Amino acid sequence: MKFVKHLLLLVAFCLVSSLAVAHSPLCDCFDNGDGTITCEGGFSDGSSASGVGMTVKDGAGAVLQEGKMDANSEFSFPKPEGDYSVTFDAGEGHQVVIKGENIVQ
Amino acid sequence: MKKMTWALALIAVFALSGQASAHFMMMHTPEIAQEKGGDMDFRIVFTHPAEAGHIMDMGGVQDFYALYQRGDAEPQKIELKGYLKEIAWANPESKGKGYSALIPKKDVRSMGDYTFVFIPGFYFEEEEGVYMQQITKVVANVGGIPGNWAEPAGLPCEIVPLIKPYGLWTGNVFKAQVLSEGKPVPGAEVEVEFLNHMPDYKANAVSKDGIVEYPHDAFVTQTIFADADGYITYGIPKAGWWGFAALGVGPQTEHNGKELSQDAVIWVKAVDMK
Repeated sequence: MKFVKHLLLLVAFCLVSSLAVAHSPLCDCFDNGDGTITCEGGFSDGSSASGVGMTVKDGAGAVLQEGKMDANSEFSFPKPEGDYSVTFDAGEGHQVVIKGENIVQ
Repeated sequence: MKKMTWALALIAVFALSGQASAHFMMMHTPEIAQEKGGDMDFRIVFTHPAEAGHIMDMGGVQDFYALYQRGDAEPQKIELKGYLKEIAWANPESKGKGYSALIPKKDVRSMGDYTFVFIPGFYFEEEEGVYMQQITKVVANVGGIPGNWAEPAGLPCEIVPLIKPYGLWTGNVFKAQVLSEGKPVPGAEVEVEFLNHMPDYKANAVSKDGIVEYPHDAFVTQTIFADADGYITYGIPKAGWWGFAALGVGPQTEHNGKELSQDAVIWVKAVDMK
């Protein structure tokens, strides 16, 4: 029974993620080299990411900072020490997670 | 006397056949659909790309920049003229000058569309006694977020695509509008050429062998005309780079007291489905 439940969840997840294709979330972050990080986001159809929630977490998953994409679909924050990740959260099936180790100049 | 006439006719035929391929500002960069932002290298040569023919002196550079836009954010102008370097370029049977430009990641790191605009100086075509200036565009994308690819760049004359010019499959129809001072050019004559010899960035030369063979001169430069609203359509038959040049559509018609053909050029790249 548990297996069926999991399978259904998986199917549901696949359905949701395939719906995202026409409007998939895209986000990329850069190390500005001055102790700050800037993330830029958007969608594959060109629509704005302004107002999309941004969360910065440390390696253990604790929230370090929360904010929103500005009018230009950008979000900047101080570069955390150690491991971290950034989540671009435009709702279910519209999330992008970027690991700190992949954020370079 | 009759002999003389024949000789003249023969000379005329040779002179004409020498012009079977069209003049094109080639503005090339290895990839226009980039997954991530990174350095972008360019080679810019005034030549005949379908046959890697004669290299011409483009008469210097007036401007080189990119118009960047991500989604519906504010467009930005990125100045690029400072990155241009004069280089010696070699085609199989012709040598000449061209330009390279290595644009660092910092200028092209962001996701979105980059409309690269290159405005050369004036080339004097001695045989015809006319000047030529080809205002050239290439649209690149980083990361898949579209931007201003379908927007006019505000040039004196230009070709504005109606299909994403960096996301073309082989066999797609390239549709675009020819504009002069922002207005459609009905019946504009547009030449189409395939970049038949791939540029070698290390050697600053092109491959000796062409990718395709032409069965007849008529296939080297294809000619299409814009409709009554300035729209052109062209089915792209093969993967690779395709150049479109709208001839004499610009508002400036004279330079140095001589006739000027101010042309609008755009380059697109088609990719095979596999």
